[in-house]
Amino acid sequence: MTNIVVLNSQTHRHLRVQAGASAELGDNQRFVHVAISEFPALVVHYPIFFAKDSETGAFFAGAMLGFGENLFLSADGKGQDAYRPLNLQRQPFFVAGSDLAIDLDSPRVGRGEALFQESGEPTPYLQTIVAAFRELRPGFEMTKVFIDTLLKLKLIEPITVDLGFDDGSRLKLIDLYTIDRNTLQALPDATVLDLFRRGYLHLIYLMIASLKQIPVLAQKKNRRLHESAG
Amino acid sequence: MVRPIQNIVIVGGGTAGWLAAGVIAARHQGRMKTGFTVTLVESPNIGIIGVGEGTWPTMRSTLEKIGVSETAFFRECDTAFKQGASFARWTTGAANDAYYHPLMLPQGFTQLNLVPHWLRSGRGRSFCDAVCPQGQLCDDGLAPKMITTPEYQAVANYAYHLDAGKFAPFLQRHCTEKLGVRHVQADVLTVNRAENGDIASLTTRQAGDIPGDLFVDCSGFSALLLGKTLGVPFKDCSDVLFCDTALAVQVPYETPDAPMASHTISTAQKAGWIWDIGLPTRRGIGYVYSSRHSSEEAAQEELARYVGPAIKGLSVRKIPIRSGHRETFWKNNCVAVGLAAGFLEPLEASAIVLVELSAKLIAEQMPANREVMDIVAARFNDVTSYRWGRIVDFLKLHYVLTKRTDSRFWIDNVDPVSVPDRLKNLLLLWKYRSPWFFDEFDRLEEVFPAASYQYVLYGMGFRSEVDPSDSDGTDAIAARLVEENAAVTRRMRSQLPKNRDLIRKIHDFGLQPI
Ligand SMILES: Cc1cc2nc3c(=O)[nH]c(=O)nc-3n(C[C@H](O)[C@H](O)[C@H](O)COP(=O)(O)OP(=O)(O)OC[C@H]3O[C@@H](n4cnc5c(N)ncnc54)[C@H](O)[C@@H]3O)c2cc1C
Repeated sequence: MTNIVVLNSQTHRHLRVQAGASAELGDNQRFVHVAISEFPALVVHYPIFFAKDSETGAFFAGAMLGFGENLFLSADGKGQDAYRPLNLQRQPFFVAGSDLAIDLDSPRVGRGEALFQESGEPTPYLQTIVAAFRELRPGFEMTKVFIDTLLKLKLIEPITVDLGFDDGSRLKLIDLYTIDRNTLQALPDATVLDLFRRGYLHLIYLMIASLKQIPVLAQKKNRRLHESAG
Repeated sequence: MVRPIQNIVIVGGGTAGWLAAGVIAARHQGRMKTGFTVTLVESPNIGIIGVGEGTWPTMRSTLEKIGVSETAFFRECDTAFKQGASFARWTTGAANDAYYHPLMLPQGFTQLNLVPHWLRSGRGRSFCDAVCPQGQLCDDGLAPKMITTPEYQAVANYAYHLDAGKFAPFLQRHCTEKLGVRHVQADVLTVNRAENGDIASLTTRQAGDIPGDLFVDCSGFSALLLGKTLGVPFKDCSDVLFCDTALAVQVPYETPDAPMASHTISTAQKAGWIWDIGLPTRRGIGYVYSSRHSSEEAAQEELARYVGPAIKGLSVRKIPIRSGHRETFWKNNCVAVGLAAGFLEPLEASAIVLVELSAKLIAEQMPANREVMDIVAARFNDVTSYRWGRIVDFLKLHYVLTKRTDSRFWIDNVDPVSVPDRLKNLLLLWKYRSPWFFDEFDRLEEVFPAASYQYVLYGMGFRSEVDPSDSDGTDAIAARLVEENAAVTRRMRSQLPKNRDLIRKIHDFGLQPI
């Protein structure tokens, strides 16, 4: 259940929130919605793909954190051993219009970080949340424009990832999309220049490079399997 | 002197004219720079027929090829999905008498003919349900794809229902804005001939003379060029297919979110049958009947009974139809497409698909010059005559298998005199084996493939006496295919959205191009 209300320094003066990454508190996600501004931080850990929203069919960018589980949560299930995507960091907050809102039914609410100082001023923690949304909100918009540009240029193609693990299990990842490198190679000069000037060429190559994280992720999974078996 | 064929003039701006323009212009885009032109002349005074709302899955590739966005097509033509047709009361006339002719092939169709296996151990299931999920998808009112399925791709094979009044203007915008088709609004007054009998030019009231190298006659029932000018006779088919009149009406839904069928519903009546096509904003309903077997009053009554009280205040349009086609379709430098080529009752929505196939054939085989045109014309005539013949056979099949004897219409329809020889022979053959690949369905792009015959034959209770020992050795494969079909059916039923819900989403969010 959710119970989302607009955050208010009076009513919520003494509210506390558990901020850190935690499996039980909602970080055990295998695929997280991300913004293009996060790509440089993401690419050193995660493969970045496009996927479709099941309700609208619209493309979004996502970072793959694991297969079924988030492989980057530390052994005790608390803490992310790598860059934590903003969409995980911002939990349990939302935006409602121009206001910050919070899900009071989230298991994160109760103990943890204070949101407001006695004076009613936001705490440094709450300020990081505000900053996260300041990046995310226009970030998702900018990501949409990026994706629309790629779609128009037919630069997005489906990719199927076939994985085999040491325990003999196999996994086929479908409904994922990446950059179509053949179309990219064939783009006219003027288009390439335009993509470069808009900063898109850089993002395109980050996405292509990020695919190299797939085997790394698979290795991490194998290590998990060995640990739980041994 | 060898003159290249590069000025194509189409007369008529209905579904046929604009589809032909789009298909030809898209195929020859590359030549536009070097003088190839497509001109469409349309009378501002004579309207288009404005009916014809059921299509075949070929429409998906046709629209994709000419570069139309499927999302725009859904939004601008009141488009809906069509997953085939259900035929009610055709066999016995009883209330529970119905079968589907779906658009999906039987499971493993290219691998094995499931009919003999089904005949021996159907376990009470209809042929359609035993071999294909689509009947059940239609029963459940499900769409054939999801919002995440790319444009023109399917989970279950589909065609469209569309608003014919919106489709022609939609194609017109695309053809003129994107494909470089010239649109001339003018009445053709006279058709001017050259010495060799070819058409040299058209004289129009509003736009002077329009010369051309190849003329495509899409002028509708009037067949202005091929019929009136070149005098190609009309081959009447009303001795086989009796219906000659249509009463059409547009019926609003009771509520805007009322369920909408994703298949055409065709319900047999006393002297013909009623089509029922669900578009997002209204249903298109029409009674196609034989005026030799029913008075107009009786037909109006039957239509009113079908529609119910909602018919009060709605205007019913009477459209005379004439079953038959031109004896040849391409003569001199003139080829006819659409109603100008011919018309058969719209029982299996075969008209628009034939327009697409003809336009494609013209575009692909576009003669390089006048010298080779007659060779292309002969081929075109051969293929097109074959197609009309097969459509006549297939439509008649729906009638000859009836057991109805409640009116002269049905009794006359099974009279052997009215059954084409080829169909008679096929029915005789199929008494002892079931239609499949090797059964004369050997032409590329057969309008109705063997699978269609299977669905209609066994849907209408026809039984082939197959030799049980004949299928020895394939029982295991057959059992596996039937199992697979059950699994695919379960999966599709759990994942596909409701028909209307998906169309709403396409309006709201659009489909993705990939
Ligand atoms: C009752 C009924 C139901 C049908 N249902 C289906 C169905 O479900 N599925 C299906 O596939 N098909 C169906 N059809 C057939 C389908 O409607 C037609 O095949 C299709 O609309 C093509 O029509 P057309 O473009 O050939 O002719 P029209 O739409 O009649 O267009 C003729 C054009 O020629 C122009 N023209 C005529 N004379 C002149 C002149 N002198 N100068 C300039 N221009 C001129 C007119 O202005 C018009 O633009 C149905 C038909 C009927 C009658």
